[in-house]
Amino acid sequence: MKHALLCVALLSILASTSLGGPIVSQDQFVLLPVKNDPTISFRFVFLAGSQCDPQGKEGLAAITASMLTDAATTRNSYEAVLDKLYPLAASYSASVSVEQSVIYGRVHRDNLKEYYPLLMDAVLRPAFKQDDLDRIKSQAVSYLENTLRYSSDEELGKAVLYSTIFQGTGYGHITDGLVSSVKSITLDDVRSFYEHYYTASNATIGVGGGYDQGLLDALATDFAQLPAGMPTIPPAPKPALQPGMHVVIVDKDAPATAFSMGFPIDVVRGQKDWYPLALATSWLGEHRNSSSHLYQVIRERRGLNYGDYAYIENFPNGGMRTVPPQNVARRDQIFEIWIRPVPNETRFFALRAALREFKHLVEHGLTQSEFDLTRSFLSKYILHFAPTTMERLGYALDDRFYHIPGSHLAMYRDALKTMTLSDVNTAIKQHFQYGTMVIAAVTKDAASFKDALLKDSPSPITYKTPKPESVLTEDKQIETFPVQVKSVDVVKVEDLFK
Amino acid sequence: MQRLGAIVAMLVFLLAGARLAVADSIFPYAYRTEVLPNGLKIIMVPMDSPGLVAYYSIVRTGSRDEVEPGKSGFAHFFEHMMFRGTKNYPAGVYDSIITSIGADANAYTTDDYTAFHLNFATEDLKKVIELESDRFQNLYYEKPAFQTEAGAVYGEYRKSITSPYAVLEEKMQDLAYDVHTYKHTTIGFEADIKAMPEQYDYSLSFFHRFYRPENVVIVIAGDFDEAKVMEWITNDYGAWQPGYKAPAVIQEPEQHGPRSAEVTYPGKTLPIVEIGYKGAAFDPASTQYVAAMLLGELAFGETSDLYKKLYIKEQKVEFIQANIPMNRDVPLFAIYSMVKNAADIPYVEDEVYKTIQQYQTTPVSTQRLGDLTKRLKYSFLMHLDTPDHVAGGVARIVALTGGLGAIDRLYTTMAAITPQDIIAAAREFFVPDHRTVVVVKGAQS
Repeated sequence: MKHALLCVALLSILASTSLGGPIVSQDQFVLLPVKNDPTISFRFVFLAGSQCDPQGKEGLAAITASMLTDAATTRNSYEAVLDKLYPLAASYSASVSVEQSVIYGRVHRDNLKEYYPLLMDAVLRPAFKQDDLDRIKSQAVSYLENTLRYSSDEELGKAVLYSTIFQGTGYGHITDGLVSSVKSITLDDVRSFYEHYYTASNATIGVGGGYDQGLLDALATDFAQLPAGMPTIPPAPKPALQPGMHVVIVDKDAPATAFSMGFPIDVVRGQKDWYPLALATSWLGEHRNSSSHLYQVIRERRGLNYGDYAYIENFPNGGMRTVPPQNVARRDQIFEIWIRPVPNETRFFALRAALREFKHLVEHGLTQSEFDLTRSFLSKYILHFAPTTMERLGYALDDRFYHIPGSHLAMYRDALKTMTLSDVNTAIKQHFQYGTMVIAAVTKDAASFKDALLKDSPSPITYKTPKPESVLTEDKQIETFPVQVKSVDVVKVEDLFK
Repeated sequence: MQRLGAIVAMLVFLLAGARLAVADSIFPYAYRTEVLPNGLKIIMVPMDSPGLVAYYSIVRTGSRDEVEPGKSGFAHFFEHMMFRGTKNYPAGVYDSIITSIGADANAYTTDDYTAFHLNFATEDLKKVIELESDRFQNLYYEKPAFQTEAGAVYGEYRKSITSPYAVLEEKMQDLAYDVHTYKHTTIGFEADIKAMPEQYDYSLSFFHRFYRPENVVIVIAGDFDEAKVMEWITNDYGAWQPGYKAPAVIQEPEQHGPRSAEVTYPGKTLPIVEIGYKGAAFDPASTQYVAAMLLGELAFGETSDLYKKLYIKEQKVEFIQANIPMNRDVPLFAIYSMVKNAADIPYVEDEVYKTIQQYQTTPVSTQRLGDLTKRLKYSFLMHLDTPDHVAGGVARIVALTGGLGAIDRLYTTMAAITPQDIIAAAREFFVPDHRTVVVVKGAQS
């Protein structure tokens, strides 16, 4: 990857205006020119995430974004939009996180002329028709009532973890909202949200690939048509947990038990400590990597599940992707461990195994050889984080969000070159702790699990297949590892996201 | 590592590789194909991706090849076993080398093939060739490691079966096929997965039968020196002994009469209906096959009248789409829809049948046909933007046909499809006698 390509070039054109309208400044552009890329990537970011959802209207940011990208514009019915995009093999979509709503799309430069007006119609001229809203709301409710509650235990565990840690804050509900709040959303709600948050000043315009100056001029002119004004963004939530281990059990007829656990951390990318902390987390549980230590302990040696990972940044849809997503930036992050479904009879054992390893990391840090191997791994592995123009553009926009002057991925590589074991172990001591955590478990027969947790009952394990003596010896320590939970709440799955 | 055959294998360079020019080809990169004397095929696709390479080892064996009773799911299980190391590089050593070079490494199994893929820095290519050639020739594992991995595979089954689509797929394949191995899904029957820990000896025979050079194609895309790559590959894979034994896959006899079933998903889901028709094996030169591919999009894609009616206007379905897959043997050409209200299932089914009848009698406009072929061309081109997307994007066609030539054949056939060809395909494949319908409903719905 050419280093220069990762640099974010600032727009050199003069700011453009539309008569009497707001000015779109050059600072609002994030550009990633790639001359030999035959495609053009767009990412328009508005600080209009789910934290901006009014109370009782949770899910409004996500519904509004869908009303731009999956619905009619004032110039075309939704059917006509689909017909026109179809031969271009191009589309545009929206993604909403707690902080941002992003409209993104990509087109081959042969088809730019036909694509661009359709894209801009979506952003500037949504029709907000009732039948589109009905369809989009119905899908959102179905996702909450069916998919999330009943057929995606892994995402369910994460949703409960985040909702518990951030409860009472703007981050406290999932972007999809609640069944009742989504049902209550009206066209007026959508219009009002759009007018308030989709303003010219609140837009960051990302463009990457083989575009030309004419496109940038057009974007500056077009975005100036949005209303003026900069909305007020809610303050960062700064969550604080009550000391101790708090378990939330989602009671459902689950064939296996999924765990997500974690606690807030006070560091985000771009800050000096993020990089050594990222190395420690990578060692403990690099996403979808067999090099992960937790993976080795729980899957590789014991065959209990499909994978075990750790994070210091939000990583939605982990089951569907191998490297970190872009444009899910947030001012407050958590440390998170994700244990993929284990057999119900081994749930307490698997939980203990994970906690025991994490405690060991907090108390002892990494060894020199663990540090060396992980550093070597990461210095090349991060090459895979953004191979496409669209992904690099996403990173560049996140750099803007985190106020990183250059590039996060370049900082990451540079930090790895000079990082020492001591940097890592100092960062662990400063930002990780063992003993205060929220543990979300999706499982069946919640009462017996609650009882076992409160009594800290031993959780012996037996295997159907032979295991080495070293594993069996370690098992003895895991089986009685004290979890010392402070509280256990049980919630029925049908009561979630109501 | 076995190097004895390396000198002999060097002779491969006498067989000049064929380089295909880009001109007149939809595939935008010039590529070169080489075949070692032992039958191992190497496809090299140099592209502008400074310092990055994707390396795919495509084994032309998938769950289709699981012909013995009780052994369903073995191709997938074996994909896991390929990470257990060799005597030269035991699993832990292999892992730590892959880790130290920061490779993005994984594997997957399908009905027709298994792919092992790594993305990494060009400077590590020599090492990767050495490691990959070693495990494909010298895989070694003992029984306990084998049994532990069987537990992980069962874990993967448990993870995936929490989806109603997995329940639907299991039932559909089982019902639609009587004798062909497409009867089971790639992950296999649960009973067979449970019994995997007892199949150690069988696993060894699986390796010796299928992991042979003439059954494997290596695709390398990205930034690399072709001559050096061929030198390293010849040296490291040259001694690999051929000996592939094709399994006797029994072809499915013609289906006479429609079949249907309803299956219960233990959780909650909106009902999903799948309407599958016995189709045809992938054949890029077949007008009929390629016309069926287009028909799926025309009749059920997001610009189809039916999509607009059921999804956008009436809002009776969460989605509707067709899947006309590329397979080695006869797959199901299927239409899927998630229906909001169970009472509407017969209506949705009926609308699908009416649509099929319409395409069997009324020619599609040349405008729509033109829009679709343009879309497919640009979709293909836009996807080929990284080494991994290139190598991964062609993996299935390589697995089915052994090379990249089928891509141009496919698009050439596509360009000549007429509205009459679409009618003929609708009449040929989408007939009630060859149909299987499965509905999955949630137990708690």
